[in-house]
Amino acid sequence: MNLQHKIEQMIHVTVLTLCSFTVALVTAAALSSENAFSTECIVALLVLAVFALAATNSDVTARAGLGISGNVMVLVAALVVFREYGLFLGPVIVGCCGAVDFTQLRQHAWEKVAFNAAADALSMLAATIVFWAMTGGSTSASTSRLLLATALGAATYLGVHAPLISIPVALSCDEPYVHVLRQIVAFDVVAFPFALLGLGLGWVYLELGAAVVPLLVVPILIARSTFASYLELKAGQEQTIETLILALEAKDRYTAGHAQRVAKFSEYVGAELRFGQRRMERLRYAALMHDIGKLVVPNQLLNKPGRLTESEFERVKRHEPVSVELLHRIDFLAPVAGDTTTEAATAAVDGAGIIEPAIIHVADAFDAMTSTRAYRRALSQETAFAELRAGAGTQFNAQCVDALIAAIERRDEHYGAGHEVDDHDWAVTPPEAGTGSAGLGHLVHEHEAATP
Amino acid sequence: MRRWLRLLVLLAGGAAVAIGIEIAHPGSPWATLALIGGAVAAGELVELEPPLRPALPISFAFMVVLARLASVQDAALVLLIAELATFLVRSEPTSVEGRLALLAERLLEGMAAVLVYHGLTDSLGDPPTRGKVLFALAVAAIAPLVVAETARMVRDRHLGTSPHGRMADVALVTSATLMAISATGVDGHGGMGLWGPAVFTIPLLAAWYSYEHLALIRRTYDQTIRALGAAPELGGMVRDGHAERVADLTVAIGTAAGFSRHEVGELETAALLHHLGQVCLDEPGDGRPPEPVSIAQAGASILRGTPLLAPAGDIIAAEWMPYRERVASRPSVVSGQILKVASAFDELSDGHPERAGLAFEALCSAPDYLYDAQVIAALEVVLDRRGLLDQPC
Repeated sequence: MNLQHKIEQMIHVTVLTLCSFTVALVTAAALSSENAFSTECIVALLVLAVFALAATNSDVTARAGLGISGNVMVLVAALVVFREYGLFLGPVIVGCCGAVDFTQLRQHAWEKVAFNAAADALSMLAATIVFWAMTGGSTSASTSRLLLATALGAATYLGVHAPLISIPVALSCDEPYVHVLRQIVAFDVVAFPFALLGLGLGWVYLELGAAVVPLLVVPILIARSTFASYLELKAGQEQTIETLILALEAKDRYTAGHAQRVAKFSEYVGAELRFGQRRMERLRYAALMHDIGKLVVPNQLLNKPGRLTESEFERVKRHEPVSVELLHRIDFLAPVAGDTTTEAATAAVDGAGIIEPAIIHVADAFDAMTSTRAYRRALSQETAFAELRAGAGTQFNAQCVDALIAAIERRDEHYGAGHEVDDHDWAVTPPEAGTGSAGLGHLVHEHEAATP
Repeated sequence: MRRWLRLLVLLAGGAAVAIGIEIAHPGSPWATLALIGGAVAAGELVELEPPLRPALPISFAFMVVLARLASVQDAALVLLIAELATFLVRSEPTSVEGRLALLAERLLEGMAAVLVYHGLTDSLGDPPTRGKVLFALAVAAIAPLVVAETARMVRDRHLGTSPHGRMADVALVTSATLMAISATGVDGHGGMGLWGPAVFTIPLLAAWYSYEHLALIRRTYDQTIRALGAAPELGGMVRDGHAERVADLTVAIGTAAGFSRHEVGELETAALLHHLGQVCLDEPGDGRPPEPVSIAQAGASILRGTPLLAPAGDIIAAEWMPYRERVASRPSVVSGQILKVASAFDELSDGHPERAGLAFEALCSAPDYLYDAQVIAALEVVLDRRGLLDQPC
């Protein structure tokens, strides 16, 4: 039995277990609780179920950050409204509706739909128990008590929901459960203000009627639409940079994937140094664009097999100040752009001030050593590590070197000779030895170059 | 002082005054008004900034809450103190005169909300039903927006309003109405106290967060495009400032030709990046630059790899397409002709205003098939408006 089949079986078992458990628990709760189905209850069920469906299917989420999440708000509103109407199962039903994703329905992913509905039902059941216990008689409790009950109810919902949905995600993505759970909890925490808004929505519904609800929904929709525009433009910005990196790599076939790898290694170091999301984003962009100045270097020089002449090398070296100049023109990257050149990055060896250029410098050097270039083949990872360690404190920032080596070793990743992903088609086979670049000391004299 | 620190100072100031009042006179309504005053002051520093619309402070929403909770005289006093507090910590406008003018404008806007609300509730009479209260609050929320718009027209000496970014106004009016009605409910029933305005500020803050991020990424994106447009200049392939000058001219010609704002934006992007293809081409080796057609094709090929830049790629590709082939379904061809004319004009004049007349004459005397006569006519209009033409051809 292969691994994929085993994972699928585990997911089937998880879904079946959770669904059965939820049905049993909800049935028991329905039989033992207060459930008065009046006309106003049915109207509220319809209104909130439609809101929940709409919120789930128009949710805007950032890759790793705040999203405009409406589902939590509607679920908390259901807690408030059905507490007043005395319908214990109301929030559970609304929760189930909020779990229905139209995309999954279109794909006939019934197992996912069932799991999500069961997870939401169970989470809402737990939240309802807490909310009813906290509010005592009804929502006529004081505002402060209602707020506390709402906060605890929402925390209960998120506290049950996150561990449950982390199970299939971890299984299907083959990622550690704790890692997935941490990501989901981080996302849930920023959705928490919307839980408070749910209290407001419930209050508006009960006190002022459903007609006033649009006053709350309209600004949320506007915020959502603006956030969607932001995400769209952000994706456009990333695509623009990636397209230009591809154009750059088309000029210099030996550096295919170099910018992305430098960005990845820089992110490894940033994560080791516990960078925040925004700082990490800036580091990634700066790393992706660190060689953008090569756009102005003639293709013939970038792809020249063998050694460069001094004048050719000077032309190639111009890409560094041009990269700095271009990054300087972008406010977001300007703070880390000034020192991206080799000289300035090595000047940051003492670790004082902005460390991003030093990170990119180390990542760039590591990838350069572990990749095949026009002037030599890839070195082994061990040799590259040894070179970095040898230069730590002088050529490279020691903290960055340690962080990069630790990050790669912890991930058990291997780069360099024997581990290169891209196949090379050399016009002139590069030499195997030499840790230097085509830098000073490795140049050919002009008169030698001129000799046929 | 950072913005969040200034915000904190104003909010803490309001809270400190409220605590002081509560200690001195327990149960006094002035404690609540002090908190709302703090929110008005802090709200001045949190602005919704939709694209193409002047910034809109969320203090407008708290002014409506103030109008609901206080009498006209009390509201005026709170407003004055709150705006004076903001005046002291505000960093923009940088000049004292500018800040004083803004202070006066804000006082007018706040008083407009207060007077409109009280005027309407008095004229609508008792009992204050839900419908009446909602109507009065909504109109009161619109009042400061009307005053702000009028002040802008007076300042700019230009009558007329733009429809851009009006969703921010809608968000502000709906949130303000809800914040105000939630504070005391209707006819003494269903009020949430200060929790109401606090909770219903969340959608406004979400809108502010979204607008802030949108403005930031838009600025970064524009700067990225401009930086990349400058790459051929930094490489010595094109004369300094060529891309920016061509972009400026194409925007003016596109606007004069009646292009939409969206089309003008695409034209500007194309103009900024129209030499990008040059950086990807091999040097011919004889010292001459690559052929313009090759540059355009290479540039278009790069830009077409990104959905957002693909329209600009089409315009660049169309730059060297014979303009007689243009058809209604291909607006990029017209834009391409504008780009071609603007680029040729800049190469001839090299950014020197005194050479504009000669450059334009050279374009006019070029063969008919080279440049679109309608675009040349639009260029003439633009140059004439700028006072650069002394010898029209």
